[in-house]
Amino acid sequence: MRTDTPTINRRSFIIGTAAVSGGLALGLRIPLGGEVAHAQDSAPEVTAWVVIRPDDTVVVRIARSEMGQGTLTGLAQMVAEELECDWAKVTTEYPTPGESVKRKRVWGDFSTGGSRGIRTSHDYVRKGGATARTMLIQAAADAWGVPASECKAANSVITHQPSGRTVTYGKVASAAAKLTPPADVVLKDPQDWKLIGKPLKRLDTINKLTGAQVYGADLKLPGMLNATIKDCPVFGGKVKSFETTKVQGMPGVRHVLQVGDSAVAVVADTWWQAKTALDALPVVWDEGPNAMVSSATIAELLQTGLGADQAFVANQNGDVKTAMAGATKQVDAVYAYPFLNHAPMEPMNATARYTAERCEVWTPTQNGEAAFAATMEASGLPADKCEVYKIHIGGGFGRRGAAHDYVTQAVLIAKQIPGTPVKLLWSREEDMTHGRYHPVTQCRLVGAFDASNNLTGLHMRISGQSILSAVRPEALQQGRDPLVFQGLNPSGEFALGYSVPNLLIDHAMRNTHVPPGFWRGVNINQNAIYLECFIDELAHAAGQDALEFRRKLMSKHPKHLAVLNAVAERAGWGTPAPQGVYRGLAQMMSFNSYVAACAEISVIDGNKVKVHRIVGATDPGYAVNPAQIERQIAGSFVYGLSALFMQECTVKDGRIVQENFHTFDSMRIAQMPKVESIIMPSGGFWGGIGEPTICVAAPAVLNAFFNATGRRIRSFPLKHHGIQLV
Amino acid sequence: MEPCTSDDVVRLNRRAMLQRLGTTGVLVALWPARAWTMSEAVQQAMHQRIGTRTPQPHGMTLRLPPLAETGNSVPLTVAVDSAMTPDDHVLRIHVFVEGNPEPVAATYHLGRRAGKAVISTQMRLARSQTVLALAEMHDGSVRSVTADIVVTLGACVEES
Amino acid sequence: MIKPRVRLPSTASKGEVIEIKTLISHPMETGYRRDAQGHMIPHHIIHTFTCTYNGEQVFRADWHPAVAANPYLAFYTVATESGRLRFEWIDDTGTVYATEADITVV
Repeated sequence: MRTDTPTINRRSFIIGTAAVSGGLALGLRIPLGGEVAHAQDSAPEVTAWVVIRPDDTVVVRIARSEMGQGTLTGLAQMVAEELECDWAKVTTEYPTPGESVKRKRVWGDFSTGGSRGIRTSHDYVRKGGATARTMLIQAAADAWGVPASECKAANSVITHQPSGRTVTYGKVASAAAKLTPPADVVLKDPQDWKLIGKPLKRLDTINKLTGAQVYGADLKLPGMLNATIKDCPVFGGKVKSFETTKVQGMPGVRHVLQVGDSAVAVVADTWWQAKTALDALPVVWDEGPNAMVSSATIAELLQTGLGADQAFVANQNGDVKTAMAGATKQVDAVYAYPFLNHAPMEPMNATARYTAERCEVWTPTQNGEAAFAATMEASGLPADKCEVYKIHIGGGFGRRGAAHDYVTQAVLIAKQIPGTPVKLLWSREEDMTHGRYHPVTQCRLVGAFDASNNLTGLHMRISGQSILSAVRPEALQQGRDPLVFQGLNPSGEFALGYSVPNLLIDHAMRNTHVPPGFWRGVNINQNAIYLECFIDELAHAAGQDALEFRRKLMSKHPKHLAVLNAVAERAGWGTPAPQGVYRGLAQMMSFNSYVAACAEISVIDGNKVKVHRIVGATDPGYAVNPAQIERQIAGSFVYGLSALFMQECTVKDGRIVQENFHTFDSMRIAQMPKVESIIMPSGGFWGGIGEPTICVAAPAVLNAFFNATGRRIRSFPLKHHGIQLV
Repeated sequence: MEPCTSDDVVRLNRRAMLQRLGTTGVLVALWPARAWTMSEAVQQAMHQRIGTRTPQPHGMTLRLPPLAETGNSVPLTVAVDSAMTPDDHVLRIHVFVEGNPEPVAATYHLGRRAGKAVISTQMRLARSQTVLALAEMHDGSVRSVTADIVVTLGACVEES
Repeated sequence: MIKPRVRLPSTASKGEVIEIKTLISHPMETGYRRDAQGHMIPHHIIHTFTCTYNGEQVFRADWHPAVAANPYLAFYTVATESGRLRFEWIDDTGTVYATEADITVV
């Protein structure tokens, strides 16, 4: 399946072909009155979701953002399923948020996060495909003068069954586009799916392999200048002064600009010239109130929460105090989890061009509408004078969804040099030190046993940072941040998989000046380690097998139990492992999916860990593309295990210390375990794929590590304990 | 269109509202072609200010950006088509915000010396919503206009 | 810290409709926000803004927490005669912030 190489129209800066997984958006002519909408290349739009070219190519509009998670292909599969088109002729394009706003948000939500891309749009995108199919059939039937009910569509061909006459989609698309869409359509029964549920090849892989894929960092527009930026190294600080004269004569330097009240940028002919000058630019910062904060002061702050009287409660039943008081035996542990950065391979960037009449931005973003809102706000221009073109993302993981600081910066720079497009690309150091960090927390867990070694009580007290307090305080529930408790709730999409007679899970909020954000998995990363490692501690204290101990608490949680049993069985839990190989288990429910993992590791010299295999199971309700799910499971383990073994962001003098990959490393391909996936969709609900599995690899490995060495590690990353991944 | 945000705004369906208002005319006049139904809080606040008078959707504009990132500071301009003479002027303009904890944002008192009934300001709009503005005219009539805004950060928050 | 600013023409012709732009830095604390430990930050807002023109009130705004922090407000008035315009912002501590501007009307 071909993908077209984008060309650029010099006059209008609009990318000129149906660029596919190049991800470059087209300008669209908007219908007035009864006129039919057309894509840039004049192919008719049957519905907002489906454009069909005369040669039967189907262009599916995708509102969400592809960032490696496969959503682009998955959404196209769902539209194509109902459309009954030839999959070999399917291609995709991103409508722009500006066009969507003009058309009263016809493409709905653009946000891609929370593992929501498929599960919150499956219904209306399938309807978009079904509606288009209905209209195409009607157009053919009208042309033939026969009832639509006598016609059937398959593989982009409509057949009039009694007579055997056929016509292809491309020939009736224009006529179909003029019809009134049906008010209602019936979607297929999942049993009848031919594309959904199949391990189809992704639509965007080839460009990524050949290097044809254009990312924001690669973008070249005519007359474009390059910029790089430094925001105050201490969060909350400001620019006091800077000495332009010291660098303005350096090669290629065009402008030295203040951006907002906390950043300085250099604009030059090339990015390297801009960076060299910015590094040489003397800047005096007003570091603000947070310059004395360090990881040590933050840890002290968190410790005050572990035993504090005041805490927000998420889940409780029974009376934990009494259970603890009457316990025959107690197990007590404190865990700690650090700040983490997303560290995508492509640093933050946005390209902007501003005039008083128009502001255009080209940027990778997980939410085209949020980037558009940021563009309007920074430019001061109304919606009809702004546009954002979504560029393919070189790593999102949550960094490019909520915060659009790089868009705001690019527009503020462009506003100071009207008419000239400027590409703002952060250095790696800027990206590492100006992220939106996985929040820092500690956790104290106490378990109580009776004389028969039954677990009678569990208190889990989380102390640490709330993301919503900083990012969206309106979503707090009387001060409580519900996201803190992902995987620990009494019910819902992030429900706890255990029943304990006396339970209390609560959170003492301790916020820091480090800006928090949504790191892939959000809070399940630490919650799964806290809970699943401690459950193993409890099992060990009770002298029970880790699987049996869990099973006793899971009789009311059949779906959690099913994935746990699946990995245990596949890994051979309960049967002897090969010499020197040890196993560990973990399970959690999040983003409405149930996941579990069993890791098999060996430990050499007490501290070198070889992860041989991880068996991962997921029940996401429905599985749109099983091949893609397998890859997401494995990919999530890379992200989660790299964090476990090697990653943290520490704070010194109010600043983030880790500036590049030498101090924030990632696992290598030789260290990668074999991943076996069990995809077990039980139907009847839609769960996410992008995030849920990330949280179970780390606790499974940690539990295996204990089984191998007798050492229980409770603070991370493991490199601080002399433990390495080999 | 925010499938993921929890909505604790209490909405009256059309029937409940008609019963409450005791007249069949109000809804049609206010919102002829819209699917929007007013929240109970806004309805109460509206009645506290205009009594049983029926707002007519004409002669007013409300400008809001269609999208905002956080909603912390959203520019808003409300304008009433009035010569602002002694015989034809606006007494008061009210702005209602159904998605905020309190349903009333502001009331502006104009009068004959205003010259133009145009107010520009910035509002804090916590979540996606429909903003309603009412203008009380010197002759006792009431005009209305609405505008929608989507707050994009709302979509990013997973509710547990 | 809490400093109001106004902008309006210093001269106008009689009967001309002039635009007045106002800005004051004030947190307009809604009473719904929480601090670093999750405790409620108390409500603290400007609830009334008035403009008087040679002693007669020509404009008033009643504000609620939905008005954004550092409130900006632009409105119009008729330039009737030369004199002084006085602008007052009153917050819920009872504090009055005020500024004045003179206008010459020809």
